[in-house]
Amino acid sequence: MNPLLPFLMAGDPSLEALPGLLSDAKALGLEAVELGLPHSDPIADGPVLQAAAHRAIQRGATPLRVLQSLAGITDSPDVVLFTYLNPLLQLGAAELKRLLAPTPVRALLVVDLPFGEEPAFEMDLRVAGYPMVPLLAPTTTLGRARQILAERPDPGEGAPYAQRFAYVVARLGVTGSGQGLDLKPISERVADLLQLTSRPLAVGFGLSDPSSLRAIRRLGATPVIGSALVQELAAGRNLREALADRLVDDL
Amino acid sequence: MTLGFTLPDRFGSQALGGCYAPETLVQPLLDLEAAFRSALMDPAYMAELKGELRHFVGRPTPLTPAPRLAAQLGLKVLFLKREDLTHTGAHKINNALAQALLAKRMGKHEIIAETGAGQHGVATAAACARLGLSCTVYMGVTDMARQAPNVARMRLFGAKVEPVEAGQGTLKEAVNEALRAWAARCDRAHYILGSALGPHPFPTLVRTFQTVIGEEARAQILEQAGALPEVVIACAGGGSNGLGLLVPFLGDRLQRIAVEAGGHGPDLGEHAARLDGGRMGVLHGCKTLLLQDDHGHTAETASISAGLDYPALGPELAALILDDKVEVRRASDEEALTAARLLCQAEGILPALESSHALALLPTLAAEGAATVLLGLSGRGDKDLSTYQSRSGL
Repeated sequence: MNPLLPFLMAGDPSLEALPGLLSDAKALGLEAVELGLPHSDPIADGPVLQAAAHRAIQRGATPLRVLQSLAGITDSPDVVLFTYLNPLLQLGAAELKRLLAPTPVRALLVVDLPFGEEPAFEMDLRVAGYPMVPLLAPTTTLGRARQILAERPDPGEGAPYAQRFAYVVARLGVTGSGQGLDLKPISERVADLLQLTSRPLAVGFGLSDPSSLRAIRRLGATPVIGSALVQELAAGRNLREALADRLVDDL
Repeated sequence: MTLGFTLPDRFGSQALGGCYAPETLVQPLLDLEAAFRSALMDPAYMAELKGELRHFVGRPTPLTPAPRLAAQLGLKVLFLKREDLTHTGAHKINNALAQALLAKRMGKHEIIAETGAGQHGVATAAACARLGLSCTVYMGVTDMARQAPNVARMRLFGAKVEPVEAGQGTLKEAVNEALRAWAARCDRAHYILGSALGPHPFPTLVRTFQTVIGEEARAQILEQAGALPEVVIACAGGGSNGLGLLVPFLGDRLQRIAVEAGGHGPDLGEHAARLDGGRMGVLHGCKTLLLQDDHGHTAETASISAGLDYPALGPELAALILDDKVEVRRASDEEALTAARLLCQAEGILPALESSHALALLPTLAAEGAATVLLGLSGRGDKDLSTYQSRSGL
């Protein structure tokens, strides 16, 4: 099982730092990283990722420059591009596919695109090898979860983790602020979802300390660490240090 | 159809609108649509709404002839639909009250709202006080400074006003923050969106609750003037006032005009005129005409009027414009200020800065040969006194 799914904000601390971060993530044995495309109006993000996106945009991390800076990178885990829809729509499917082709991006997590709102766009990208990650929120009924998992299907065990996992949102609200997350509801949720599907699950929103990450792994899911990591990297910590104790399981 | 909504969620030949919401909000939006549909069919809800509109809001609002202003501008007849005379002073109360009643019906006693000019925030705060609901209003810090009296009014009504520091500190950032707050509390809170935008079903919900403006106005002008006007005109920020007045006239042979904020210049960032320079995009849950840069990031906007200072036009109004059912024009900051003074002096009515943008088009309409005009006076200008004072040297 993939032990951790770290989230990085492209362009924060800098686009120049990105190849090194991806290389470190690969050296740590991670199968995938989420890479945030900075957006002007990140309605699903809390203060930490809003600020990181703002800093990145100020430094010129446009969608075009982010994708160009990923071109040719091979020393990297698979990249899941975490983004809002509008920048992708403005590029258009054809240009987006052209830009993605030389990058390690293997899947797209588009926060504000429920399945069915842009069917042609989504199918075009899926056929080209860029499926959209299914998102399951605490408000998603099990019936709707079943539907979402069918609409964004598991490509099968031969496919990489990045293209197979479903993202389970651990609590209501936006990204960040992990203090005192009650693990009981998410434990029950993961157990319910594991009855529905055999695909890997990642759990994110509000997770940061090593013990809650371990608790998620014990449920049989991959924890996502986002805001806390972005904050530490922005403060100058390196990825290996920041993730070292978060990858240890037997304390 | 895959999300499972029942009401049409796309508008016009370019299928604007939709539900581009984070997954957390999809089920609450489905629940909201179901509650809205059932309320519209429930005689008890409709009777309560009608009663509150009459006895609390003060509907029907008058249709006032403005003969002195008409004569000065070279129009034969000018009628003003007086939403400025509603309780709390703008059309926003029509929707805020209806949604607050809906929230109560859904068992949600916590209300979240965003506000730009503060009119929607004040209306929501008043409706919540009236119905015994708790209310939190998100407002950009720039707007809090330029619409300070409305901040005080919201607080007097017991609402909590949350300042939003991000970006330009205007309506766009306030909507961002309200959507985030709703995602965190959607199990117990209802979000009263104030304009005909956002993810489905909000645009339809808001338009439905605002068309009372045009329905009344149409009946009133037929009664008072014996005929429909040649032109019906309203200002448009997100589009709740524009749709509210214009939609009931869609079946008539007349000119329908929405007026956008021309700000202080023609370049991106200097105005909020989405028809000139706006491209199709997705913001705040819907696909519509959007002022944005080459990267799909939302552009900055500018307008002297906080209520029109928003980068996207509501999807239904944008669709009506693109499909040639409504015309769009723009008025600059200066033209709006001049028009406001004219109305004050000719008719003794102080208009909101938003409504003044529609007034600013009247000389042009007269020059184009229009004789009879019906204008939506969306709100009163008390909240804008400090701007009028500083910009007019009073």
